[in-house]
Amino acid sequence: MSLLEVKGLQLAIGDVKILRGIDLAVDAGQVLGIIGESGSGKSMSALSIMRLLPTGAHATGSIRLAGDELLQKSERDMCGVRGKDIGMVFQEPMTALDPLKTIGNQVAETIWVHGQASRREALAEADRVLERVGLPADLFPRDRFPHELSGGQRQRVVIASAIALRPKLLIADEPTTALDVTTQARIIELLNRLVNEDGMGMIFITHDLAVVAGLADQVAVMRYGEVFEAGPTGEVFRTLAHPYTRALFEASSHVPKRDPSLPGGPPVLTVENVVRDYRTPPKRLFGKPGAFRAVDGVSFRIERGENVGLVGESGSGKSTLARAVMALEAVQSGTITIDGQKLDPRDGASFATRRKLQVVFQDPYGSFDPRQRVDTLITEPFHLLGADAPHGAERQARIAKSLETVGLEASDAEKYIHEFSGGQRQRLAIARALIIEPSLIILDEAVSALDVSIRAQILDLLAELSDRLGLSYLFISHDLSVVRSITDRVLVMKSGKIVESGATEEVFRNPQHPYTQELLAATPHLERALAARS
Amino acid sequence: MSLPAIASPTLPRGTLLNAALRSPSFLAGAAITALFLLVAVVSFVWTPYGYATQDIPNKLKGLSLAHWFGTDQYGRDVFSMILVGARTSIAVALIAVGVGIGIGVPLGLTAAARRGSLLDEVIMRLNDLVFAFPALLIAVLITAVFGPSATNAIIAIGIFNIPVFARLIRAAALSLWTRDFILAARVAGKGPARISVEHILPNILNTLVVQITIQFSLGILAEAALAYVGLGAQPPTPSWGKMLADSQTLISLAPHLALIPGLCIVFTVLGLNLMGDGLRDIFDPRLSRSRQ
Repeated sequence: MSLLEVKGLQLAIGDVKILRGIDLAVDAGQVLGIIGESGSGKSMSALSIMRLLPTGAHATGSIRLAGDELLQKSERDMCGVRGKDIGMVFQEPMTALDPLKTIGNQVAETIWVHGQASRREALAEADRVLERVGLPADLFPRDRFPHELSGGQRQRVVIASAIALRPKLLIADEPTTALDVTTQARIIELLNRLVNEDGMGMIFITHDLAVVAGLADQVAVMRYGEVFEAGPTGEVFRTLAHPYTRALFEASSHVPKRDPSLPGGPPVLTVENVVRDYRTPPKRLFGKPGAFRAVDGVSFRIERGENVGLVGESGSGKSTLARAVMALEAVQSGTITIDGQKLDPRDGASFATRRKLQVVFQDPYGSFDPRQRVDTLITEPFHLLGADAPHGAERQARIAKSLETVGLEASDAEKYIHEFSGGQRQRLAIARALIIEPSLIILDEAVSALDVSIRAQILDLLAELSDRLGLSYLFISHDLSVVRSITDRVLVMKSGKIVESGATEEVFRNPQHPYTQELLAATPHLERALAARS
Repeated sequence: MSLPAIASPTLPRGTLLNAALRSPSFLAGAAITALFLLVAVVSFVWTPYGYATQDIPNKLKGLSLAHWFGTDQYGRDVFSMILVGARTSIAVALIAVGVGIGIGVPLGLTAAARRGSLLDEVIMRLNDLVFAFPALLIAVLITAVFGPSATNAIIAIGIFNIPVFARLIRAAALSLWTRDFILAARVAGKGPARISVEHILPNILNTLVVQITIQFSLGILAEAALAYVGLGAQPPTPSWGKMLADSQTLISLAPHLALIPGLCIVFTVLGLNLMGDGLRDIFDPRLSRSRQ
């Protein structure tokens, strides 16, 4: 008998059916990977097991943990199960921790809340658990607060409180999605070790096939609230029996077709020795303010039609550099030239310069004003044309053209942003960037928040536009596989400096700098993970 | 989205009115508010009796055909007083809120647009200074200098409203300034003033509308408080707040004297709240289903 057996689980919120009868099973010491795109019901399955459902939700079916039916338990009994028999790790470690509690207290709370120990014993036990997750007391005193730790360290604290009572089952819902690749690799290693040491079962929910391929013993592929395919990981990935699994598989290693003849000609963007310092508050009253160098003497150039990738982990200065290029931040020294026009470090850019440059942001939900209609939204860059901005019929024509270029319809101009899905919003963001016919588009993690199949479509669109319109991209991402698929050249950034640059294929095949090697090694790789299995 | 392009191209902006006509809370709120405004306007041309005419033999009469809302301890007609009082109360509250919005909102937007600068610091610390004095104290100060009147009550309550709106707007605007769509507007070359008006203000309108209804009711109550200590409208000019205050010693003898102005305040505030609620939904494209 399996440790966890879910049979015919159905879930409805009001009249909307979320789960349509799913079956899952996890054995002790085994990892079940649940893959699926947003809205497939994977997180809801996890919350059903924890019985942490939103109000108005109604679950039927059977969820048995070690033979014990969870759906029949009272809320009071479930409180005894949560944290003790089932632990849970969430995606965003910053919001999963109470910012006003020290990490020692936070972990100890799980222990004494279940009446297993006195406060003093709980604190001592918390100390041991934090040690187990790789936070030794001499380096990480237990009176630290969450904001004093890095993202990966915070996630370790979350894991520590989840496993403090040695639960039978650990549910990890996208636990590494918010983390950098090298951190992700270490957290996965930690989870794997804990599963082996404690013999607990783990459900690992993710949208990243490569992560699952390397970690899970069993996988379940979910879509529309159903389990489309399930089985041992190696088997599912090798046979790809179900068309949806195959589509997912192909989408995650998708490489858009590109015209190799293009890059060349005069540089669209030249960045020379750019330095950006931030002032940090003085350490003492009347002390001297410190300085933090976010971008440290960076130089590079982008040619017409060339796609350049900028990779690096959070805090490497890549976003600051992008903001400097967009003239949203003043630089302390160095020059930035866009299409032959130099940016003024003090005033930012003139309208003429700004016209050459547009940007697409990561979050498809946050990058549009919810109060305006699509026609107003995507014509925002027309402000840069001043009195030359098109009016009346010409404006309508430009709107229609740019919407059609990105694969939407001209009639979409009448709608509000909430009527579009994430992928469509990202198309709108591209339409907004294109409407003014720029030479360079900065794509700041533009596909990171999208599901794999949508991501593949957007990448195709970007590649096609670049070829057809001779557009250059500065493609900023932490996702190396995406960068590899769409860029000609890549820049690797660390601590404000570019540590390696070169043709994308060259850098990926034969990385020179140790940091690049580390990044590449840490990146989950689907084929490599599958090869390691067999 | 695969939604068919509903015959929207021809009626784009006019649909706002359609949405308004379909929102029951807005309609109810607007009807109540309109009624009280009408009452205030009517009082300029007609009241059944003079609001200051005393008729001692008929004092403290209950509700009757001759005196719809009865009479007070001096035999004055309560209905007439309510009509004229509506004028004072609504005018004081409206103008006071108007002063708060007119000065407070631009200050808040400016502070948020120049966040972290010296200007931000100056604006907000001045606001703190005003906030530190209760409205009553400001009113006493103003009255000490200019003498008691309804106008001075308006000024006092208005000044008190400025920091309320400035703080609220700044806080709401600050969280918006970090959003990507604001960044997109900056990339489009728009300056802080333009962004504040085009993007920030429409997105904090719902917070603003809710605060307006709260401040309006507080305005009526503040006017009552000022009138109570003799700093508001001077007798014999009635105001709802003053009627409420005057009636408290007679509450067991003639409860209608307290109930009627009290209910008037309640209904005005209710009407405004409903209207504010409706307005918030109408202005939010995500909530107005009528335009999908």
